[in-house]
Amino acid sequence: MESSVNSWPLIVWLLPIAGAVAIWVFGPQLRRLAGPLATAVLGAAFVGTLALWPAVAAQPGGVHSTMYTWAPGITVGLLVDRLAFIWMTIITGVGFLIHLYSIGYMEGDRVEARFFSYLNFFIFAMLTLVMADNFVFLLVGWGLVGLASFWLIGFWTERAAAVEAARKAFVMNVVGDIGIMLAIFALFATFGSLSYADVFAKAAQGPGAIMTLIALGLLAGACAKSAQVPLHTWLPDAMEGPTPVSALIHAATMVTAGVYLVARCWPIFQHAPGAMETVGVVGAVTALAGAVLGMVQWDIKRVLAYSTMSQIGYMIMGVGVGAYSAGVLHFYTHAFFKACLFLASGIIIHGLAGEQDMRKMGGLAARMPVAFWSMLAATCAIIGVPLFSGWVSKDAVVYQTLAHGHPVLWAIGVLAAAVTAYYMSRMMWITFAGSFRGDEHAHGHGHVPAWVMGLPVALLGAGSVVIGWLNWPHEGFAEFLAPVFGGTDVAPAAAWGGEFLSTQIPLFLALLVGAGIAYLQYGTTAALAGAPRRLEHEAVRQPAFVVHLYYWNELLDALFVTPARALAALCARVVDPKLIDAVLVRDVAMDVGVFGLLVRRWQSGLVRAYALTLLCGAAAIIVYFAVVR
Amino acid sequence: MIPLQMSVDPNLYVALSAVMFFIGVLGVVLRRNPLITLMSIELMWNAANLSFMAYSRAWLNNAGHIFTFLVITVAAAEAAIGLAIVVILFRPHQQSNVDDVVLLKG
Repeated sequence: MESSVNSWPLIVWLLPIAGAVAIWVFGPQLRRLAGPLATAVLGAAFVGTLALWPAVAAQPGGVHSTMYTWAPGITVGLLVDRLAFIWMTIITGVGFLIHLYSIGYMEGDRVEARFFSYLNFFIFAMLTLVMADNFVFLLVGWGLVGLASFWLIGFWTERAAAVEAARKAFVMNVVGDIGIMLAIFALFATFGSLSYADVFAKAAQGPGAIMTLIALGLLAGACAKSAQVPLHTWLPDAMEGPTPVSALIHAATMVTAGVYLVARCWPIFQHAPGAMETVGVVGAVTALAGAVLGMVQWDIKRVLAYSTMSQIGYMIMGVGVGAYSAGVLHFYTHAFFKACLFLASGIIIHGLAGEQDMRKMGGLAARMPVAFWSMLAATCAIIGVPLFSGWVSKDAVVYQTLAHGHPVLWAIGVLAAAVTAYYMSRMMWITFAGSFRGDEHAHGHGHVPAWVMGLPVALLGAGSVVIGWLNWPHEGFAEFLAPVFGGTDVAPAAAWGGEFLSTQIPLFLALLVGAGIAYLQYGTTAALAGAPRRLEHEAVRQPAFVVHLYYWNELLDALFVTPARALAALCARVVDPKLIDAVLVRDVAMDVGVFGLLVRRWQSGLVRAYALTLLCGAAAIIVYFAVVR
Repeated sequence: MIPLQMSVDPNLYVALSAVMFFIGVLGVVLRRNPLITLMSIELMWNAANLSFMAYSRAWLNNAGHIFTFLVITVAAAEAAIGLAIVVILFRPHQQSNVDDVVLLKG
């Protein structure tokens, strides 16, 4: 890989951290200017990213700049190839819009400057993750985005639930970090280097069992960061954070790091077929499990959280069957429509003075036209209405599972699409149709969104419609990414009936079924008229197994949290007082004290006695050297 | 070995040096007047100097001279500090005895 001294990636990479530090230091002076400054920094980073394009396009291997060598095989360098470039455009571009939105959303917050400092820091961490040219750097970024996520979920520290959620997210992510760390150890032991170029060049020579273990370690990291089963429970709780955070970190960028990891490490997964199979299954299970959980939520942000989990399941399923570019394409479109959905829900929550329960909404279409139309566009995208962006990408993923020979995953994909259509339509009808069911008085305290909030939502809504067209002419995205994946993600043969018959028709039928059931349940005139009572009634009748999230939290608690607490209690009752305090602290101190009592008589204070001691010592040394040796 | 270039047997110098050193040691250990202690220490310095010079001459190596200068410099600094301590010891009771100074007794 050629090493050109291209300082442009360095600038793009360091701009956000400079912004974060500046806003952190001068926050009290900046006050209301903190938001615009952070947004300007992101705008500059976005322009810088776009300016990188000619260089990236010209070099198939990507723009590679090495900064210094830390240890043999471990260099600190930046690599911007087409895969990293795709992520960078989303991180800085969608990140810019979300920063802009945050200026309005966080207005009047007590520590607004700190919020923007954290946001800029997150962008820096995420850029580190995707611009790294080696695994160590990748892990550094991986850890830093977790830290930024921790700070931002728990941003409102006075809310106990937010602090709890932040802690949960952090701990569960560390589980994944350990998986990646072990994979890195194994990589270094096997290949003697940790740079992408070295490892991927030698991946074919790695012993099969080791490669599978490495791939499973990476998968553990991907599961934790991307909220995949079994490490998914932190994501819905993370909705306690401010809504822009949910849009930026827990929808558009950070939670897709797992997809990036698998796509980036495709040569490793390519040589670990068992692990690859596992990735696909994990993605499919999550896609369906998340969608089903979304059906019974009443909190609008939680609907979107489970939807995010489910959509990332699609991406993971895509990269898991070997259709890397399809998975990445779904990430790309998802970043637009899910960020749009979250930001629009933020406008609603803002407008209703913090209300998130959909049962207290209704009839908002006329009151909040920007939120409604943007959300409608994004919903059409996510449920796969033809020609919308989500249709293009979801289609690609589901079709590729079949073309790569995984009919079961294909079936799960279609089924999950029907469930997706159901819960998203349900959310739209409950929120926007009918009449307002909330407290009119509370509504009076809400805010009308400023243009800084409306504009990003509208732009993202427009993006949800058109961004999928990047894939045209057909499979344009796969061609774009061909230098990265070397053509390995092209299906060996076309599936039965071609894409139209085998995927587009079933997916469209799934869409009709899902949305149709939602319409009959929530959208008919009769349903809308009796909505308040019906919704309350329905909340009671929901299946307990799903409402309690498959009792997964309880299971994890029973398996890990309770034993850990018991161990901690044991340590507090036995180990600490009996071993640490008694033996290691008190006894040692007492022994030293007794010894001191014995030898203190020596310290007579008489200078002449000291001189005599000195003399005896000197004499002893002389005798030793002159006589004994 | 380099041949001796001295008219007096260097062993005599070394013996004198040893005698001076032990007189100094006895002065420090036995006498209680701090001024005598200081003078005894000076005697030990000079015993060391004497043996430096004797060997320097005997082996025709100038390192001994250099070390002697170094010792003299340090001894001068030590004398300044030592005399200051003596003055402080003397002030409260208009007399001084090193055995009276036992504040650091353990």
